[in-house]
Amino acid sequence: MFTSFIKALANLFKKPQTIDYPVTPIAKDKEYRGLIEYGEESCIYCLKCEHACPPGAILFVPVENPSTNEKNKKGLAYNYNPYLCIYCGECVRACPKPEEALWQSNKKPDVAVKSDNVNSGWFELEKQHKEQL
Amino acid sequence: MKKTINIPLGSQHISLLEPVRFKFECENEKIIGVDADVGFVHRGVEKACTTSFKFDAIGYVVARVCGLCAITHSLTYTAAVEKLLGAQITSKAKYLRILLLELDRIHSHMLCLSHTCENAGFEAMFMRIMGDREHIMEIQELITGNRVQFDYISIGGVNRDLAPESVQKIKENLYIVKQKVQGYMDEFTNNWSLSLKFKGIGMLSLDDAYMYNAIGPLARASGLRIDVRNEIDYLPYHEVGYKMQTHTDGDINARNLVRLAELVNSIEMCENILNGLPEGDIFTKIKGKPQGEALMRFEAPRGELMYYIKGNGSAMLERVRIKTPTFSCIPAFSHIFLGGDYADAPAVLASFDPCMSCTAK
Repeated sequence: MFTSFIKALANLFKKPQTIDYPVTPIAKDKEYRGLIEYGEESCIYCLKCEHACPPGAILFVPVENPSTNEKNKKGLAYNYNPYLCIYCGECVRACPKPEEALWQSNKKPDVAVKSDNVNSGWFELEKQHKEQL
Repeated sequence: MKKTINIPLGSQHISLLEPVRFKFECENEKIIGVDADVGFVHRGVEKACTTSFKFDAIGYVVARVCGLCAITHSLTYTAAVEKLLGAQITSKAKYLRILLLELDRIHSHMLCLSHTCENAGFEAMFMRIMGDREHIMEIQELITGNRVQFDYISIGGVNRDLAPESVQKIKENLYIVKQKVQGYMDEFTNNWSLSLKFKGIGMLSLDDAYMYNAIGPLARASGLRIDVRNEIDYLPYHEVGYKMQTHTDGDINARNLVRLAELVNSIEMCENILNGLPEGDIFTKIKGKPQGEALMRFEAPRGELMYYIKGNGSAMLERVRIKTPTFSCIPAFSHIFLGGDYADAPAVLASFDPCMSCTAK
């Protein structure tokens, strides 16, 4: 009884277990698995990342004004959906030029809003990708 | 005139986290008949594995079957594919796989123990155990880069190496959890709400455990010496200090004590792995397409998990069959309820540690 009373009193002056979230940011590990980033200049357009991606979050779709990269013979553009990505890193492993053309950062995606057109915009790309095949 | 009344427990109930329904036929307070129904959340994972995903992506798909034993699912599938492809993986990757498998077991058992406390009306202990479980989640985030969906196992090895600076942090966290588990052992043996109240409730005898095909901690609490870790030679469990934990009582208290003893053993295994991790690569590139049939078993936190895969030499598999531990244990569950009081049913159910997302995949 006496010990529990002392413990209860001590608890009043203890630091809380939780953090004051929006004021204090959550400590993020620097090795956190985050967004996949892409360097267009080094890409050789081998499409290995597209084939390796388990959820299909990377799509190369033909566009009207393709980049001036000489390897881009089919006139494709890289598309990445951070909300579909599972951040497993299979694409980086499949890439022949990791760290230059494709690498994994520790950044988080922004919260998507309606104007980002996350769903229907991506479905449109998937449709175009299917037609190209 | 009918003298019994039927009382359902579930599919939504205050003591359940996931949808499962037990229909109890009761005579006054005693349960005399049980009917179980588990098919509430079918997600079609097995079908998706054979129609939408290539064999090298399925390891990431089956990890989504269950959030608690994600590593065990992806590891069992990956090991089955490696068996078909005749792949050899490095010994460092094997040890890292055991490390993650045991961390999976530690945090899953801690979750089960905290829910047992909650069902005993001991909310403060529930909060304490869940708070301490965060140390293990931190370790998993350090190793894999994510808190829940680890995506760590890949065909040919593991995805990430263990950074030397994080080893010290992992050891510190494991030490803290080990001290806490010693404290829980005291609570679970001496505290009235957690020990005496649970003694003799939800009994399963050794013969019944054998007859009703009990597996995992449920069987080991009844004295049945069954554990896949003891039976496979695919992972070097005997080198890292694995000891089988059994108890003879077979009641809720025995199940809690078996889980606590397994926690201690798993923490010891993790420490041994960290102290003696061999040098070498973590990944070997493997080529080929799976052809033929393979069957692989591993010990998930709740018991034996089995994968059967069938390939025909193409990138799509013909069949993926997942047999989960909770599903195999349902006959034993139903038997344990018979003859008990209806009021004890939520506590007995929590002691089984049922995982419905595994069962209705």
